[in-house]
Amino acid sequence: MNRIESPAASTANLQLRQVGKPLVRTDSPTKVYGTAVYAGDLTMPGMLCAAVLHSDRASALLRHVDTSRAEALAGVHCVLTAADLPPSQGVMTDMPGQTGGLTKNTKQPILAKDRVRFCGEPIALVAAENAAIAEQALRLIDIEYEDLDGIYDPFDALAPGAPIIFGDDNVVASYKVRKGDIEKGFAEADFIVENTFTTQYQEQAFLEPEAALAWVDEHEVLNIRSSTQVVEHYRAVADAIGLPHNRVRLRAEFVGGGFGGKEVMTIEVWLALLALASRRPVQLVQPRERSFLSHGPRHPFTMTHRTGVSGDGKITALQIKLTSDAGAYAKLSPYILLYATVGATGPYRVDNLHIDSVSAATNNLPACAFRGFGTMQANLACEGQMEEIAKLLGMDSMEVRRRNFIHTGDANVTGQIIRSAVWSDQCATQALATLGERPTDTQTTRIGHGVACYQQSYGRIRWMKDSSEAWVGVEMDGTVIVRSAVTDIGAGQSSALAQITGEILGVPMDQVVVYFGDGAVTPLAGTSTASRALYMSGNATKMAASQVRKNLLSCVAGYFGVKIEQLDMCDSQVFIIDDPQRSIALKDCVKLCAAEGVHRHNLAIFRAPTSEGIDPETGQGEVFPDFTYGAHAAQVAVDIETGEVKVLKSIGAHDVGQAINLRAVEGQVEGSALMGQGFALCEELILKQGRLQTGSLSEYLIPTSEDVPEIKAIVLESRSGLGPFGAKGIGEPVYAPVAASIANAVADAIGVHIFELPITPEKVIKALREKESTK
Amino acid sequence: MTDKETQMITEKRVDIQVNGQACEITVPAWRTLLEVLRELGHKEVKCGCEKGDCGACAVLLDGKVVDSCLTLAWNAAGRSVTTVQGLGGPDNPHPLQTAFIEHGSAQCGYCTPGMIMAAKALLDDIPEPSLKDIKRGLSGNLCRCTGYTRIFSAIQAAAETLRQQETTS
Amino acid sequence: MLPPFELLEPHSLDQALKMLATSESVPLAGGTNLLPDLRARGEAGGRFISLAALDQLHGIEHSDSRVLMGARTTLSDILHDPLMPTAAPSLVSMAKVFAGSMVRNAATVAGNICYGSPSADVVPPLLSLDAELTLASAAGERTLSLNDFLLDYKKTARRPDELLISVSWAPPTTGTANLFYKLGRRRGDAITVVGVAVTITIEKGNCTKARIALGSVAPTVFRAQEAEEALVGGPLTATTIGTAAQAAAQASRPIDDIRASADYRRHAVHMLVRRLLTEAWQTAGSQHD
Repeated sequence: MNRIESPAASTANLQLRQVGKPLVRTDSPTKVYGTAVYAGDLTMPGMLCAAVLHSDRASALLRHVDTSRAEALAGVHCVLTAADLPPSQGVMTDMPGQTGGLTKNTKQPILAKDRVRFCGEPIALVAAENAAIAEQALRLIDIEYEDLDGIYDPFDALAPGAPIIFGDDNVVASYKVRKGDIEKGFAEADFIVENTFTTQYQEQAFLEPEAALAWVDEHEVLNIRSSTQVVEHYRAVADAIGLPHNRVRLRAEFVGGGFGGKEVMTIEVWLALLALASRRPVQLVQPRERSFLSHGPRHPFTMTHRTGVSGDGKITALQIKLTSDAGAYAKLSPYILLYATVGATGPYRVDNLHIDSVSAATNNLPACAFRGFGTMQANLACEGQMEEIAKLLGMDSMEVRRRNFIHTGDANVTGQIIRSAVWSDQCATQALATLGERPTDTQTTRIGHGVACYQQSYGRIRWMKDSSEAWVGVEMDGTVIVRSAVTDIGAGQSSALAQITGEILGVPMDQVVVYFGDGAVTPLAGTSTASRALYMSGNATKMAASQVRKNLLSCVAGYFGVKIEQLDMCDSQVFIIDDPQRSIALKDCVKLCAAEGVHRHNLAIFRAPTSEGIDPETGQGEVFPDFTYGAHAAQVAVDIETGEVKVLKSIGAHDVGQAINLRAVEGQVEGSALMGQGFALCEELILKQGRLQTGSLSEYLIPTSEDVPEIKAIVLESRSGLGPFGAKGIGEPVYAPVAASIANAVADAIGVHIFELPITPEKVIKALREKESTK
Repeated sequence: MTDKETQMITEKRVDIQVNGQACEITVPAWRTLLEVLRELGHKEVKCGCEKGDCGACAVLLDGKVVDSCLTLAWNAAGRSVTTVQGLGGPDNPHPLQTAFIEHGSAQCGYCTPGMIMAAKALLDDIPEPSLKDIKRGLSGNLCRCTGYTRIFSAIQAAAETLRQQETTS
Repeated sequence: MLPPFELLEPHSLDQALKMLATSESVPLAGGTNLLPDLRARGEAGGRFISLAALDQLHGIEHSDSRVLMGARTTLSDILHDPLMPTAAPSLVSMAKVFAGSMVRNAATVAGNICYGSPSADVVPPLLSLDAELTLASAAGERTLSLNDFLLDYKKTARRPDELLISVSWAPPTTGTANLFYKLGRRRGDAITVVGVAVTITIEKGNCTKARIALGSVAPTVFRAQEAEEALVGGPLTATTIGTAAQAAAQASRPIDDIRASADYRRHAVHMLVRRLLTEAWQTAGSQHD
């Protein structure tokens, strides 16, 4: 394997003893024994229960909101509406946890004031003695609406004369990429292939609905303990309610699934208002139906690719149009559109390129962050188009891919030079090979194989100027502590820090305690989003641990009269590499340091590479720190009579740079295989005139145990990433190609591509009928 | 509350054994076992949908696995409830718990307590389950993180451990 | 959270029937449909009669000529009954794909029938077996066919004072195939898009009895009787099966909903009826070989 290493001096002798191994995550036992605490499990004396009234109209004027009957109900402590908030009320929904770079300053009303723009918009908050009274109070709030015409289609929203949802027009964001000479590229093409792909709303459907508890403490500090991916929201809460930043403390508990849905703030600010108004601790646990309304689902996209291709399968020109439905508020739509734009050509080098992308406001649910963040939708179109090109040319689609793959040293869509390894081919080849032989078709089933590659960024947009801090220290008894405000959203974020620290300091990982997720007392690590948590907080932790190691070893080197390079640490011992019998226990080593006044701890900051943005006319510039590459392959059986699709095998192969915890990496690949299958086949939030039709887990169908195919994760390690030990981000990347591979497998099975997700039995039958009628 | 509502508040004393401990509660008819267990401090019983779609609240009721959100507390009167904490803990882990830990079967962990209880009921019913049996046994327990594969392998491993314990005892 | 309601807890069937006769109330068995409905409506004030303590409604009795199933029989009980795979093969196939373990442990056969939903999975298999229902009230008992029991969307022949106490049917004779297929939008725990149960009896190479019961494609689960008639009297051929499947599709009156369109449902009925009849013909025929 292609190994690129440049270890720092303090870790020069490091042999990996824990990193890369399939170890038990430190958070596993507490979750399995049922002792892990989630935000909804917290209680406090005198705690009130909150409930939220959501609009049941998609587009209407709020003529009158009368809370008097609710307020009169015994046991109700406070009822808040927009009338109780300052006129400038609003909560920042721009890039969460943002520190260094510019923001677009997108704000959303905390509570709807004169107008509701989507069905589900919050209108009133209640805090009461118990949940039953709070619910009763909601029913006693009288609202007089005056319905307005709504817009429920992004293309209608962009048409001239369309009513404006918010701002100056319905364009929430747009990007242009202009690269090379597209006219020339099309002129050189032997064939031109044009197709339009569409994707649906996808709901995160984390098992734990939004939950948080807020109270004002004895120091007049507003405390919030929440299920969030971002503790840095404390700033946005403070700004929204007019408190200084140092008077809001946000702590993230174990998060029962996030996937982007707990990235932009929602319920924390509601609870902050209720806690301040009632002067009591207030808890909110959203019922499932309201959870569907409390975060943003994945954006539906319409994506047109017009590809010029030479007879030997080389892309000569590519013109792409992307349109996303942002819904009623901007939230992160501009950024998601940027990700889609950068990801629109997948892992392929395209020299002559036009991209025009736009995100439109409608009266639908505001869409927001979800694993893949626009890239995976864009990638789906790109990978579907590869199959269509191959079909037209009569070539193997992998061969078409090979002729166009981007390579290390090439410039991507925005002209950014790819510096890490690009193992798309190896990954795709291995994934496909692992599918093995095709079972034979039966009279009513057709077998299909499909593959999809991808390019997905990890780390935040460069002009966010991202950084992450971590603290590592050794106690006098030789035990180790990590402090990092990273949120643990289920992928093993805190465990990875224990493992990295254990590796560097030679301590078993389960003996490292990680204090995480406290916005006030742990060093801020940034968000668990953008596949950045391990990359950023892992690097910061590794830096801090390495400095502590250096300090400890310098004392021991003096003690033994050897050089630092002659020492190593393992099993809570420091020893001489060539003479391991000469060793000193870590706790004694710490005493040496203490006696000499040497720091046994370190606070480190890791900075991601930065840039100043992209050229608005050409879209050229450095957007992301780096990218992950890999592939997913699927084997499906399609019932040509009923249209049912059964996934038989689902194989992910990814260059993860360096696995930190191999088992956790495999877990990400396996989980994404099923989530992507859901997106491909059965998951669909259906809105009718803006109103959600599938607002429960019996109507919004995520895959069950009965839907699980044979899933396999293949982990490749180029050690070329920007993360600790050469790791790349994987949380989103491993998800990016799954749905496309299944869509391609279905196309392979039935000989016709279905361009509209999800691929329902109905669409399969329709496609087969159309194919039959064009014969 | 309206007069009609106040009239029918008829509370009842209910005795339930939870993880072997006798609990006495007084509740109205419409309180669910899920609500009561959580009020008793059994926060390991999770709430994900309150309508039987997700299985996060699964517990054993007299040995049978039920959605505690669809079980009225009154109907649990005189019966015995087992939650994941009653199955075992760090000092006396159940083979299912050991296997879930070793196989990395928990990611966010929110479905885990219900999942383990459904798995326990499955193994009580079918000590040597096929993969098909396992898939059927868990189809009411949603997991969004893992793709279920490590849950399946943990259950198979636990079944093997239990078989060995059986033969050596 | 459930809204307040009243729960009566009779200890005997007689007591339950008296309560039903004198108070406006609804029998509550497994609660897997009624409790989510209550929660969704959020309206206080209902009155329910818990059937939990009525032991006489439990149990399945098999005799040569009849299977008698107590109304509190759960979906799990069906799966655990060792004789059921021969007494009602379609019912067992159905129970395997009915919701998840927890709901199977709670949901009852009677509850699923009385709820009256067109997607009630218990119903197509029982319709295909010509099941009969026994209803009891303080005034006495009556027995009627399941087919006559289903009136319209969520409307059944049960009077408010009546309780469904048992379901019975004749187990399939030799030469009979009884199959079920559920088409859903996912494989586990899904609301049915199309449910099909068929029964085919073959004697001396001819089809002597045919039942085709369809779920989720009309206001109630129903029997496609014209299709059934097209099958009886001769051997089943591709032509007769095709005619019957076509007739079954035509008899369907599906709606468009979030799960599928009416057109697709009709198509799926056609395909699945054809497939199940073909399989049934082979299975039933082979029992004589």
